Amino acid sequence: MPSDASAPLARPSGRVRSIFRHLPLPGEREGGLLATLVALSLLIAFGSHGAFFTPVNMDNLLVSAAITAIPAIGMTVVILTGGIDVSIGSMLGLVAAIGGLAFEAHWSLAAVVPIFCLAGAGLGLFNAALIIPGRVPPVIATLGTLSIFRMLVFLVTGSNWITEIPPSLTTIFIVTRIGPLPMASIIALLMLALAAFILARFRMGRHVYAIGNNEEAARLAGIRVRRIKLYAYVLLGLLTGIAALMTLGQSPMVQTSTGEGFELKVIAAVVLGGTELSGGRGTILGTLLGTLIVELVGDGVVLLHIQPFWSGVLLGAIILFSVGAAWRPARSV
Amino acid sequence: MRGRGFESTRILLLLAFFVLGLGGFALGDVGILSRANLTSMAVFAVEIGIVALGQTFVICGGEGGIDLSVGAIAALAQVFLGLMLVAHMPWPLAVAIALASGVAMGGVNALAITRFTIPPIIVTLATMFAFNGLALVFTGGINIDLTAMPPSFLALGQGSAFGLPVQLAVIYLPLLLLFAFLQHFGRFGRALYLAGTSELAARLAGIRTTELRGWTYVISGLLSSLAGVIGAARLGTARPDAAEQMNLVSIAIVVLGGTGIFGGDGSVIGTAVATAVIAVVDYGLSYNNINPIYQAGVMGIILITLVLVENMLRGRGGLRQVWSYWARAISRDPLQDS
Amino acid sequence: MAFVELAGIVKNFGGVRALKGVDLAVELGRTHALLGENGAGKSTLIRILTGAHRQDAGDIRVDGARHIFRRPQDAQALGIAAVYQEPMVYPHLSVLENIFAGREITNGFGIVQHAAMRRKVAPWLDRLNMQAALLERPISSLTLGWQQLVMIAQALVQNARVIIFDEPTSILSQAETDRLFAIIGRLRADGRGVVYITHRLDEVPRIADRVTVLTDGRVTGSYPIDEVSHARLLSLMAGRAVEEPVPDSHKIQHAPAAAGRRPTFSPPVLEVRGLTLERQFRDVSWSIASGCVTGIYGLVGSGRSEVALSVFGFLRGARGAVALEGKPIAPRDPADAIRLGIGYLPEDRKLQGIFANKPLESNLTANALDRFTRPFGRLDFFALATAARQAMVAYNIKARGEASPIAVLSGGNQQKGLFARWAGRALKVLILDEPTRGIDVQTKDEIHRFIRSLAAQGLAVVVISSDLPEVLAVSDRVIVMRQGRVAGEWDAEAMTAEAILGAAIGARSEAA
Repeated sequence: MPSDASAPLARPSGRVRSIFRHLPLPGEREGGLLATLVALSLLIAFGSHGAFFTPVNMDNLLVSAAITAIPAIGMTVVILTGGIDVSIGSMLGLVAAIGGLAFEAHWSLAAVVPIFCLAGAGLGLFNAALIIPGRVPPVIATLGTLSIFRMLVFLVTGSNWITEIPPSLTTIFIVTRIGPLPMASIIALLMLALAAFILARFRMGRHVYAIGNNEEAARLAGIRVRRIKLYAYVLLGLLTGIAALMTLGQSPMVQTSTGEGFELKVIAAVVLGGTELSGGRGTILGTLLGTLIVELVGDGVVLLHIQPFWSGVLLGAIILFSVGAAWRPARSV
Repeated sequence: MRGRGFESTRILLLLAFFVLGLGGFALGDVGILSRANLTSMAVFAVEIGIVALGQTFVICGGEGGIDLSVGAIAALAQVFLGLMLVAHMPWPLAVAIALASGVAMGGVNALAITRFTIPPIIVTLATMFAFNGLALVFTGGINIDLTAMPPSFLALGQGSAFGLPVQLAVIYLPLLLLFAFLQHFGRFGRALYLAGTSELAARLAGIRTTELRGWTYVISGLLSSLAGVIGAARLGTARPDAAEQMNLVSIAIVVLGGTGIFGGDGSVIGTAVATAVIAVVDYGLSYNNINPIYQAGVMGIILITLVLVENMLRGRGGLRQVWSYWARAISRDPLQDS
Repeated sequence: MAFVELAGIVKNFGGVRALKGVDLAVELGRTHALLGENGAGKSTLIRILTGAHRQDAGDIRVDGARHIFRRPQDAQALGIAAVYQEPMVYPHLSVLENIFAGREITNGFGIVQHAAMRRKVAPWLDRLNMQAALLERPISSLTLGWQQLVMIAQALVQNARVIIFDEPTSILSQAETDRLFAIIGRLRADGRGVVYITHRLDEVPRIADRVTVLTDGRVTGSYPIDEVSHARLLSLMAGRAVEEPVPDSHKIQHAPAAAGRRPTFSPPVLEVRGLTLERQFRDVSWSIASGCVTGIYGLVGSGRSEVALSVFGFLRGARGAVALEGKPIAPRDPADAIRLGIGYLPEDRKLQGIFANKPLESNLTANALDRFTRPFGRLDFFALATAARQAMVAYNIKARGEASPIAVLSGGNQQKGLFARWAGRALKVLILDEPTRGIDVQTKDEIHRFIRSLAAQGLAVVVISSDLPEVLAVSDRVIVMRQGRVAGEWDAEAMTAEAILGAAIGARSEAA
């Protein structure tokens, strides 16, 4: 049976009655990713003589993964509808800058957190407006906003670093833990599970896939294509805002360059996870695994004392191999 | 003329932008029109202009063609060059090898895209990571100082010929002419336009489309490495993080110049004029001591505005729609669905 | 009174009047066939009926009340559904989700209820010969014939009162067609109204109660099925009197080609022997002689295009032997095949043939760029333009100039342009795949004349067609294919319509 992890399959037989019966069963690709993940982990653990498993390293890894995974959820949805957003790195920087200013003005945490969320959502709305009614192709629109948002970061911060970030952020996201997992990761996992559930079981989630599969048919069937695409971009913005908040917990300062290159990491994670750029195909589980692999590469490079510069090379090679491995010889059209 | 890909309206619009931009800055300070400043402007533009030429062909070829690795190829080629020069290799040989490395890197892209049918955006994203990483690996993150290199080498980026900077007169302009010829008068260009318009129809008409597109990536790699070499000569250093912005800027310039992102149309002439526009804007901003970060931002604004305006002119979407969309979204009115 | 009544529907597209005042009445419990050549306006009418387009003038009445359809949902809400030729599916979603896309059953929170959806569709599965297990499979794993049935299921769960079928059998095998007709019969018996659009005259008597003929955007006749003859319908469709081919064992008269032409049968220019490509065709042998027209007849799906594409180098991986002028060949791609002297005019001109936004000249010369390349890779534009103009004259292509974008030309002129693209080359074999699909009758005749004159000049012409009268009229010999195999071969003297049709259909009792 062809593995198609984007369609919910039949319930597992027998008495398996967990929440997981609502989620799509993992397919071939997810299996391959998991194997890669395990192999990489073992490789790194071995090569680093166990330094992989130290609490410091694990924390670092888990928090970074959370920060990448959360916007990756939004990116997955956007790509599922057939779009893309390459501006989220600058978005992250801008939201962090705006929030950072609020912190500097001594606003309370409770007041600033909504600002992060609203700012992110607002920037997502900006992109959506260019793409949906403005009909600017997503690649071009978000390439443009990538630069525009980055410029705004500079405008907002005036090239000064923002350093007055309350340590409570770090406490909340990193120090607080449930079991072995820092709060940031718990939040990420919850969001991932929720997203997977919504995409698999909610009508709107299924409509996301329908749009990516056949936008014309979806429109004719009465699916609110424009609205769902709007939600996708706004969601991505919102999640990027949350990631910005967590980033400040991990490293409490905002510079003009904060977030540079972030979008590439997130897109790499989503693509590695099996989401097809043409839309209509992809899973949250895949995105999670892709994120973990991307983070592992970065972490492994440090632990194995490989020159940090190799991380880019490795990441590139992994992406090529993983996408290329899905290639089967085509017998022409 | 339409079918030949030469869209005169866009080019005229851009020329107008160019003149306006130059004029606008000149109003602020006529000094910007001095020979020295115009020279600096040109010099600055040549490198990105060369890369944009290659990117034009890649995008024109269609089927999602895009090259995100141009900056990385330029940087890595520059690094190779620097390493060889520092090892006392005669500079013409070193330059030749650096250019060959660009061809090889473009070849890697071409192979992955044509043979393994991996989408170009993913391939070039991956090679971008890889080549950038390699550049850092080979230099240990440190710039290579080339100021002690023979003047004949440095002249590549700092000399002048016929009263113009060397790279402009001797390299860019001839290249532009060559590519314009190739695209508008040559079989290669015609075949590329057809392949970009309809992949199936082109293949069934006997055009070897994958081969064709593969070549565009090789050419793009060659041109990127050329830009890297010139950059090294101009600044007198080989930097592993050179050309960081080039990836996106080159795409923006190509689209600005009238080449649709889906392929099948556009012109290197448009790209050249767009390069000039961007050069004016960038240089004007830095002349007025505005932080370079605004350059990218302004370019983003220009790009988006241009596409919006064009959409408006064609009756699809545009500024007014965008504005009312925001207004409705913010005021919580039910969004109209079409 | 009819459930749905269209009165005086007018629709213009740009400067073209697609519908010039059309009336149509659809009764429940009856099947109404809409007959017409391609381009007659059937598709436009249906799009108006389903709310995808607004008419420029005219009324739509449903159940006595006048309605204006602003969006497709308006028509759907009134119970009007359509099943299109190419099923509009969501490839990666399951069959069940395809059926309910946009209309999923949810609980109060918005969670999709699969069990309820399965229950809702269960009663229809029987009628559609579908099994419940099918529901969970990804729809892309089904053949087009089954996908079409899923679309019917989609219409049924929407409680459609009127179901419109838009040329559904063009993608079906004979057995699937029989199955479809049985299902249509059941829908009719259930009290639904069926509108059946086709240009295949022979299908109409099998299922229709009433037939309306659409010609050139106008209704040229509307009759209960038993009050009109086959010949009359044919002449109405063609717009002029046409002699009906006698459907029993008399030989078919086909228009004699240039006097004195005698098909040469030895040696064959192109010889295909035992060609096999998994899941496409098996053990195919064609013998194509020069100076004559070989027709390849078969229903859609019989593998004809695939064999041609294989010979042309576009489809790879076939086993067997292909020989051109006695020498074995194995073209790696179309460019190779063209160099060897094989040409191929594709089936679908929109997707595989034209370069829509490019000028006519580029379209005409796309396969001959080498001929116009001078030293240093330079193209000879003067020669290109001249060649284009010559082709326009030789093939009567009506356009403002060779620089007009081909997209503004009519379908017939576009097809002539594509024909000219190939006819102008020095070839040994030219394969034409459905060369007159979707074009008007006059242009069809023109192209038939071009084909015969090419053969008279000594070229080996292959015409792949699923239009029986065309095949009979144009060919000197006919090869029939069915389900990927060669089912028969006839020479001019021995060709009869029923023999050929019989071979194409195969034994009635054979399962699909």
